[in-house]
Amino acid sequence: MTRKHRLVHRLAWPALALLIGLGITMALVLRPPPEPPKTAETHR
Amino acid sequence: MSVGFKAVQWNRDKIVYDVILVAGVALYIGVFAVIGWRWHPPKNLPDVIDIWIRAFGTAAFLMLTVILSIGPLARLDRRFLKLLYNRRHFGVLTFLVALTHVWLMLAWFDAQGLLHTLPADFTTWGDYGKFIGFPFKALGLAALLILFLMAATSHDFWLGFLKPPVWKALHMALYAAYALVVMHVALGIMQYERTPLIPLMLIGSFAAVSALHLIAAWRERARDQASTPISDGWLAVGPPDAIPDKGACIVTAPGGERIAVFRDGREIGALTNLCAHQNGPLGEGRIIDGCVTCPWHGYQYRLSDGCAPAPFTEKLATYRVRLNNGVVEIDPRPLPPGTPASITVAHVGA
Repeated sequence: MTRKHRLVHRLAWPALALLIGLGITMALVLRPPPEPPKTAETHR
Repeated sequence: MSVGFKAVQWNRDKIVYDVILVAGVALYIGVFAVIGWRWHPPKNLPDVIDIWIRAFGTAAFLMLTVILSIGPLARLDRRFLKLLYNRRHFGVLTFLVALTHVWLMLAWFDAQGLLHTLPADFTTWGDYGKFIGFPFKALGLAALLILFLMAATSHDFWLGFLKPPVWKALHMALYAAYALVVMHVALGIMQYERTPLIPLMLIGSFAAVSALHLIAAWRERARDQASTPISDGWLAVGPPDAIPDKGACIVTAPGGERIAVFRDGREIGALTNLCAHQNGPLGEGRIIDGCVTCPWHGYQYRLSDGCAPAPFTEKLATYRVRLNNGVVEIDPRPLPPGTPASITVAHVGA
C-alpha cells in the first residue's frame, strides 16, 4: 500500500469505529419494547 | 502476472481456495437452515423463505467480516497471507450471497402478495429523518450496490485500466459497505428480534474488524515514522549480512515511500516496496527462482533491474545502491522503472 493509503486507513478506522459503535449503541438503547409474536412479521 | 485478457486465470491454488470457500459457505447456509427449521418449524411458504433469508443474510455479513479481517491479519501475521491470495473471489461470492438474500426478500413479499407495498419502504421520505424507523432496507440496498461495484471491477482488466492506487482507493468503499450493513442489521432485524444472538454477532464482528484495523494501522504508523540514518542524502541500511539472504530489509525515505532492499547471495538491489499489481508489500516477499516474488499474488521481478521476466511486461522503480565503509546505502531518489541498479559485493559476513 502507498503511504497515502496507509494514512487514509489510520484516519478512517477510528472515525468509523466511533460512528458505528455509537450507532449500534443507540439502536440497542432506543429499540422499542418487545411486541407480540403475531405482529412481528408485519414489520419486515 | 498477466499477459493479455483472460476471464479468470485459474491455477491449482485458486481452485483449492474456491472449493474450500464455496463448500464452507454452503455448509454454513445448510446448517443454519436445518437449525432454523428445527427451532421454528415453518408453517407456510413465507416462513420457509424467511429461514433462507436469514441464512443468506447472516452468511453475507460474516463473509464481509472475514474479508475485512484478512488485510490487517496478513499484515500482523504472515500465516494469513494465504487467505489474501484469492480474496477477490471471496468478495464476488459475498456479493452473490447478498444478492440471493435480496432475491429471497422479494420472494417473501411476493409469496404474501405484498410486493406492491415494497416501494413505499424506500419512498416514505419522512422516515429518513428518524433514527429508529429509518428505512433500513435502503441501507442494505446501498451496501449491495457498493458490493456490485467491487465485484464488477475486481478483474485485473480494471486494475490495469484504473491503475493500482485508484483501484485500491475505489475498493476502500468496502468499509462504507460494511458500515451500511452493520446499521442495516442494527436498525432492521435487531429492532424486532429480541434474541441476544443478533447484538452479539453484530458487536463482536464489528469490534473484531475495527480492532484488527486499528492495531495494524498503529503498527504501520510506527514503521512509517521509523527514521533511517542518512549520510550525504543516502539511506544507511547496514552491513550486507544484515539483509537476510533471499529476503529484504525495508527502509523508509523521510516523507517518501518504502524501499525494499533485497540480497540474493552477493547481489544487492533496491526496488520500490510497491508491487506493480496491487501495490503489495514486495519487501515482505522472498526471492524465489531468482526473482523477487510479491507475497500477495506471486508477481515476480528481477532484482537487477526491477523488470518482470519475459513474457511479462511489468517494471518497477529501482534505486542506486552503494557499499560505503562496509555499509549498504541507498539513494532514495527513484530511478526510472526497469533501470539496472543492483551491485555485487565481494563477500558477505565475516
